[in-house]
Amino acid sequence: MADAAGRVIRRTEYILLAATAILFVVGLMAGDTFFFRLATESLIFGGLALAVDLLLGIVGLLSLGQALYFGFGAYVSALLLKEVAPSFWLATGAVLAASAVVGYLSSFIALRSKGVYFALITFGLAQVAAKTVYNTRELGASDGIIGIPIVVIGTPFGGLDTANAPVFFLVTLGVIALLYGLTKYLLATPMGGIWHAVRANEARLPFIGFDTLGPKRAAFTLAAMIAAVSGALYPMLRGFVSPELLYFSTSGNAVVTVVLGGVGTLIGPLFGSALLTGLRSVIGTWTEHHQILIGLIFVAVVVLAPRGIVGIAIERAKRRAGEQI
Amino acid sequence: MTALFDSLQFIYAPQIINGLSIGVAVILMALGLTIIFGLLDVINMSHGEFYAAGAYLSVTLLGLDLSFWLVLVLVPVILFPAGFLIERYLIQRVFHHRDRHILTLLLTFGLAIVLEDAYRLVWGANPMRPETPISGATEFLGIYFPQYRLFLMAFGSLLILGVWWVVYKTPAGAIVRAAAYDRDMSASLGVPVKAVYALTFAFGVALAGLAGVLLAPIYSVFPTMGKDFILLAFTVVIVGGLGSIKGAVIAALLLTQLQSISSLFISPVWSDPLVFGVMVLVLMFRPAGLFGGFKNG
Repeated sequence: MADAAGRVIRRTEYILLAATAILFVVGLMAGDTFFFRLATESLIFGGLALAVDLLLGIVGLLSLGQALYFGFGAYVSALLLKEVAPSFWLATGAVLAASAVVGYLSSFIALRSKGVYFALITFGLAQVAAKTVYNTRELGASDGIIGIPIVVIGTPFGGLDTANAPVFFLVTLGVIALLYGLTKYLLATPMGGIWHAVRANEARLPFIGFDTLGPKRAAFTLAAMIAAVSGALYPMLRGFVSPELLYFSTSGNAVVTVVLGGVGTLIGPLFGSALLTGLRSVIGTWTEHHQILIGLIFVAVVVLAPRGIVGIAIERAKRRAGEQI
Repeated sequence: MTALFDSLQFIYAPQIINGLSIGVAVILMALGLTIIFGLLDVINMSHGEFYAAGAYLSVTLLGLDLSFWLVLVLVPVILFPAGFLIERYLIQRVFHHRDRHILTLLLTFGLAIVLEDAYRLVWGANPMRPETPISGATEFLGIYFPQYRLFLMAFGSLLILGVWWVVYKTPAGAIVRAAAYDRDMSASLGVPVKAVYALTFAFGVALAGLAGVLLAPIYSVFPTMGKDFILLAFTVVIVGGLGSIKGAVIAALLLTQLQSISSLFISPVWSDPLVFGVMVLVLMFRPAGLFGGFKNG
């Protein structure tokens, strides 16, 4: 990836990493908790946005219900931590396995359809799941599950306390970076090539001898797993889960994040998540109606710059390098 | 035998009538969605918010002591130009993009976010309920029906027939169908396609607003009312076939009857998963819905 797009993405990665390192040191010196928790939350929702971008930006499938898997991960993790054992490895491992099964199975429903039908089916699936959780007393109904114990992550080098904000921030950073790296690695494999090709021209692929359903199913399952693992971290951060995690607003915010950051760039969604979480927090100190402003920004981005922030940077770099856009 | 008739009369009949009045309302929503999709190829994610706009406007106008009948006329008249402007100045800007489906969907979705929060800002988060304009009940076959629901059904059916008549029996409808069938050919034959697009979108928006006015006295008015209703409308449109008027009507009646009759046996909580299950089944065996688009028929 020595082309212009690759260079811009690499540069964005460095910028994000440097900004994270600087803020981390500043935060540590200031003895802060609030901003570490905020940053952790932005990473968690960045993971959800990453899953949406894998589907939308790479394979060309708009998922309006990714919160289903995010919420699934959060609830499974919360139940295991509370009822079985407060173990990080048990929770994330179980969520990884369970979300692979759930993602694979629901791909049989969602991938029956294409284009706008796919968007509406994923929307409907998530909506039904959200209503079911909302009405199930065993899952705490509208209150959700509260009182999730503090988790100490056992490692060979000693325990990591998730109640310690900077420590859990680093853990989350590690998990999200791992998910990001894995997705980026897969894009460079032959299957990643087929994903790109599906987005470019799905109808032509079977004519040159490629199966499209298998790779699409793989992408869908992977996106479900990424969203679920991100969700699994949520109860460790907040100590509770609620049905709002499955609502359309969660899925919708993830789509907004992806479009703002840059569709198909993978790093864009993480960037967008940091930006939006920060923005929400700042606007939230003035007014509780931050959705209006976010919505307006979103509409403006869709109309004026549908490629998003990182997308614009890539476009510029390409123009400068004389490459085709 | 009498037990059977009693259960038919006192249990099933009211439930069927209730389902019908909801069905008529759903059809009004679904018609706008399906016409907009049939002509413009746009999934209007903010359709539910236009429905809410109609309901909120009716609350405000009724608060000014206007009569319900005047409001019923005024609200679509106010929303029509709003829809026209949104199509002309927002949707048209991304309409010719390569990813038109996704971009227009995202755009209307953004609009929905803005509108929903705007309602909260202007009218507050608490539900409001305008007074029922027609009170009283009518006895029919020994059961009492609220008169407003009967009015809703009659008026809604007339509207649906009217829409059908406009689309299939008038020159304006022929132009819309022609533009949906072949945009370039229509344009070269002198159809002002751009204006047709904007007017049709505005028509769909006005229809959703009208549904909002009609349903406000029954379901009350709150910021997320559109989102709660839109899933059913989308399901109806998908089952009936995106772009098909006949499909929307039949699917809406089928699905709302399924909902209201099934709720006699299972908790109404499960009616959404049930309806959604039907949609998945239809998509599995007939991916384009029960009926094709309206340009075909």
